[in-house]
Amino acid sequence: MVDFAMQHAWLVPLLPALAFVVIVFLTKPWQKLSALVAVAGIVGAFVFAALAAYGVFTHPEFTEGSLVYGVRWLSMPGLHINVGIMLDPTSAMMIFMVSLVSSLIFIYATGYMKGDPGFSVFFSYVSLFAASMLLLVLSSNLLEMFVGWELVGLCSYLLIGFYTHKISAREAAKKAFVTCRIADFGLLLGMLSLQIVFGTLDLPELAQKIAHFHQYTSAGVLTLIAVLVFLGPIGKSGQFPLHVWLPDAMEGPTPVSALIHAATMVVAGVYLVGRMLFLFSEIPSAMELVAITGAFTALFAATIAITQREIKRILAYSTVSQLGYMMLALGVGSLSASMFHMWTHAFFKALMFMGAGSVLTALHHKADVWEMGGLVKKMPITAWTFVVGGLAIAGIPPFAGFWSKDEILATALNSHHYVLFAMGAFTAFLTAFYMWRLIFLAFFGEENPANHPVESPWNMTVPLIILAALATVGGWVGTPWDNVWSQWIFFGEVEHAAPNYGVMIGSVILALAGIYLAYQLYYVDREKVKAKALAERYHGIYTLLFNKYYIDEIYLWFNHAIVDGSAKLFYLFDIYVVDGIIVNGLGAFTRLSGEGLRITETGRLQNYALVFFLGVLIIAVALAFSSPSAAGLLLGGVK
Amino acid sequence: MLTLSVGLTQYMVLSAILFGIGLFGVLSKKNAIAVLICIELMLNAVNINLLAFNKFVTPTQFIGQIFAIFVITVAAAEVGVGLAIIIAIYRNKLSVNLDEFDWLKW
Amino acid sequence: MNVDLSLLNPEIAISILGLAVLVLGLIIPKESRHGLGWLTALGLLGVLGLTISGWNNQGTLYHGMFIVDQYAIFFKITFLTAAFLVTLGSMRFVDDMGDQSEYYSMMLFATLGMMVLASAGDFITLYLGLELMTIAFIVLVCFKRLDGKSVEAGMKYVLLAGMSSAVLLYGLSLIYGVTGSVTISEVGRAVAVTPVPALILGLVMLVAGLGFKISAVPFHMWAPDIYEGAPTPVTSYLAVGSKAASFAILLRVFVAALPGIWANWTMLVAVLSAITIIVGNLVAIPQTNIKRLLAYSSIAQAGYILVGLVTASEQGIKGVMFYAFLYVFATIGAFTVATYFYNVTGSDEIKDYAGLSQRSPLMAVVMLICMLSMAGIPPLAGFVGKFYLFKTIVDNYLWLAFIGLIMSMVSVYYYLRVALVMYRDEPLDNSPINLSTPVAVTLIIAMVATLFIGIYPGPLSQVINMAAHSFFMH
Repeated sequence: MVDFAMQHAWLVPLLPALAFVVIVFLTKPWQKLSALVAVAGIVGAFVFAALAAYGVFTHPEFTEGSLVYGVRWLSMPGLHINVGIMLDPTSAMMIFMVSLVSSLIFIYATGYMKGDPGFSVFFSYVSLFAASMLLLVLSSNLLEMFVGWELVGLCSYLLIGFYTHKISAREAAKKAFVTCRIADFGLLLGMLSLQIVFGTLDLPELAQKIAHFHQYTSAGVLTLIAVLVFLGPIGKSGQFPLHVWLPDAMEGPTPVSALIHAATMVVAGVYLVGRMLFLFSEIPSAMELVAITGAFTALFAATIAITQREIKRILAYSTVSQLGYMMLALGVGSLSASMFHMWTHAFFKALMFMGAGSVLTALHHKADVWEMGGLVKKMPITAWTFVVGGLAIAGIPPFAGFWSKDEILATALNSHHYVLFAMGAFTAFLTAFYMWRLIFLAFFGEENPANHPVESPWNMTVPLIILAALATVGGWVGTPWDNVWSQWIFFGEVEHAAPNYGVMIGSVILALAGIYLAYQLYYVDREKVKAKALAERYHGIYTLLFNKYYIDEIYLWFNHAIVDGSAKLFYLFDIYVVDGIIVNGLGAFTRLSGEGLRITETGRLQNYALVFFLGVLIIAVALAFSSPSAAGLLLGGVK
Repeated sequence: MLTLSVGLTQYMVLSAILFGIGLFGVLSKKNAIAVLICIELMLNAVNINLLAFNKFVTPTQFIGQIFAIFVITVAAAEVGVGLAIIIAIYRNKLSVNLDEFDWLKW
Repeated sequence: MNVDLSLLNPEIAISILGLAVLVLGLIIPKESRHGLGWLTALGLLGVLGLTISGWNNQGTLYHGMFIVDQYAIFFKITFLTAAFLVTLGSMRFVDDMGDQSEYYSMMLFATLGMMVLASAGDFITLYLGLELMTIAFIVLVCFKRLDGKSVEAGMKYVLLAGMSSAVLLYGLSLIYGVTGSVTISEVGRAVAVTPVPALILGLVMLVAGLGFKISAVPFHMWAPDIYEGAPTPVTSYLAVGSKAASFAILLRVFVAALPGIWANWTMLVAVLSAITIIVGNLVAIPQTNIKRLLAYSSIAQAGYILVGLVTASEQGIKGVMFYAFLYVFATIGAFTVATYFYNVTGSDEIKDYAGLSQRSPLMAVVMLICMLSMAGIPPLAGFVGKFYLFKTIVDNYLWLAFIGLIMSMVSVYYYLRVALVMYRDEPLDNSPINLSTPVAVTLIIAMVATLFIGIYPGPLSQVINMAAHSFFMH
């Protein structure tokens, strides 16, 4: 059975994809059946993924090489494209994690989406979403991965804009799509360059060839390729400066936010960089770029999160920040730490998003955390599981986030990136602060009499409990003392960093300090006087942060002033010159020449015969003129 | 004394003339039956060619003769079908004038 | 002489089938003759199975007169698939027309002619296959003998085809005279030694004769008229089968007989291909009759296939075979819709297709997919086919690739015009069109095959690799 699952890992993406097809074409009118099909598809995928992962992690030879199989999709001289499955510890971990979290989110969604008119459609979309992500993860070929990548983008567009009646949702969907498209263009260019330079997009083959890239190209070209490829992840994983779409993506239904932020979509970018680490690691400057982008994004997003008021928006910025951590880990060369953080983050972020969804359902979509308060009494399960998530993300041992964050910080320090380490450490402090600010404001303190919350039904709370358990124990596979994780998932050499107690203790102290500060400002101080006074005193900074550094506004201004301005110019040019003269002219010319040629079809048989003979004659004469040996034709065979 | 020696060239010229006559007829005759007959002339030009080449180029084999027999047979079949169609169209339009058949055009 | 007649199994089987259908039509009463359609379809399926099972049974017969290689077998599979789909999709049409046994047996004999043509190793076989196919088609074209258009098309076809075969034969006789042989491979050897003018004239005439069949400009004039006048299923089979068979033999002649005088020919074919693409696409634009539109589009398609002949390398041959195969599904899909639409409404005018998407979603979808495939829109089969074809010439004949690209865009215009009528316009008659099962099956096969080949061309391309490889073995 395990072998079967490993040999047929393609079933993992296929099952949810089938669920999508079945729902769209067959079961759409029956909501419950559709949900059942979707859940069955993803749970089936999870079972296969778990078996395959079990198979991988019980065969030590997988640390040496991966299981690759596929079929020739297209072949011709100079271009062979195989599509297939690449199963190694990293992808096995990913399919396990993605299908597990997705399964829980799907189950949760059966409760959350209840009564929505688009219930069936929703489940078809999320099935396709999960399928594309699983395809992306398992791909053995960059082109195949790109297909998954674009499908993920498409699904996110459909799902973010799911509430089509909301203008903000439509705008957010467009924003997500356009932002990612800009980034994808870079990725596409990078892929094309790889194909041109190395003649393949097969990941294993590419890894071999890039190791000896000097035979193919210069370091400069490879740097350019690496930067182009990195553009894709910058967009998809919400790295600065293309992070703007991610916070708006919460306009979609909450399970979608959970899917996007935890299991699918945003981690795709990190995963791609991880998969392509053989490319980046050849170019030290590219690695630095990745690391700096990551560290900066982590810090930058954390500062924004401090001032935000909407619960999902805070979580969204925390995702951006955590993704920055993952990029930082990759940039300092540790696939292991990055994937580890992705793993733990998936659990606690899915947990918190779904907790937020639970709160929003209870409060009829009132999202401002300042208007909540004391929810712990009416919604104990949601509140306490959320607290577990908060502990995990803040990095309090023994919760999952501690181990992975610690690993990243230790790696950054060990690789002598002191500034980046300091940024990461400070971000850890900020993370603890803003997350516990949210928790204290929303779940503790006085109840808001305007709210009448009730605990959510079982199909929403059970996934929360499971995820809370995973967010607690999920990090234990990678403790510094017995790091099973890094023995399996690594790039290059197995990293054997000794436990760095200084970093550990330091990061715990920072986290506790953050929590304590939040406790003082938002719990002890019932009237939030100090918090408000702080915001008053540093009004400039506060507004700057609250408005997210005005990045959106800058983009808008840029759009209006430069893009729209030049667009207007081009528009006029287009209307009068391109459309008026070229397009319409060409169209008319084409049509007229069609009409003209049409007249030659007179319907007279003998005209046709005449054309036939003229054809023979012209060809014979043309050949005679073009070839000396046939020149005699004109002379009637006399040479 | 005039000696007449008929060689390959003479046969080829004869055949070319016959083909040309047939071709001219196909392009200029208005009567469908006449056109059909002209096509037969062209085919006969081919047959002359085939037989002449058989005699002068490959006298030991019968390729050309066999080919010619096939051409004659197939031509007969084609004429059969062609005449049947001309009869059908005559019933339809009471005419075999090619210039009148231009329903199908453009 | 040891003759392995098992190589001829498919041909023998289809002759028996054709004769059986003809004789049965005389024996059984008129009202039960509609069963003959099923007999033909199942028989074709059987012959198809027989042909596929003989995939590895290769060889030559009668001193190279008859060649059975995987190249020929692949084309035979193509013809038989096409014949099967046309039969399946046109049963009701034929029942309305009457004379089923003659119709089906002619269909089978035309298929036999194509199969002989694909295997032809010398000019006599070539001529016989060609004429068997053509005469059967002449009968089929004017099958609706009370319909003026059909008879007119038949007469035009018989006269023009007769004339073109006379030209072809004259060319063959010249080639025979110069080389002393009628076997294609021997002629090839002789051409390399003595490229005398008469030989070149002969080859030009041969190419003209075959160019007539594939409707390459300037030998294409007959095609639109005959396509429009002929009964629609015949048109579709004419467009697919006759064309594919002629391409099969054209490639054989080209690759075997022409290397000696190669340099001039490639340019010639490139120019012919360009003109064919341009004329076919441009004249399709103003058409108002769906059959005529498809006729011009099929001329353009022939131009695309000719691109593969420019290099006539293994890749080019592969492109031709690939395109010929996928073209079967796209064309038959589109023509089957036209056939059934004519059955229901009695019209071939594009404007009457208004609102087809509401009256019969399947018909509209199949029409759309088949047309987009012909236009070469990814991820449909036509895109992959064009990709294979143009890939071979992109290095040396960039201008031709450029023309192909531009004209593909032009073709989208007239295809989408039909789509627009089907999807946007309100139907004049709202009654839904109920598809009969065989027609629905045909349409679904055409659609699924077009999609599948487009998304996953791997397996087909491997089969064709083998076939193209076998082509160069002798």
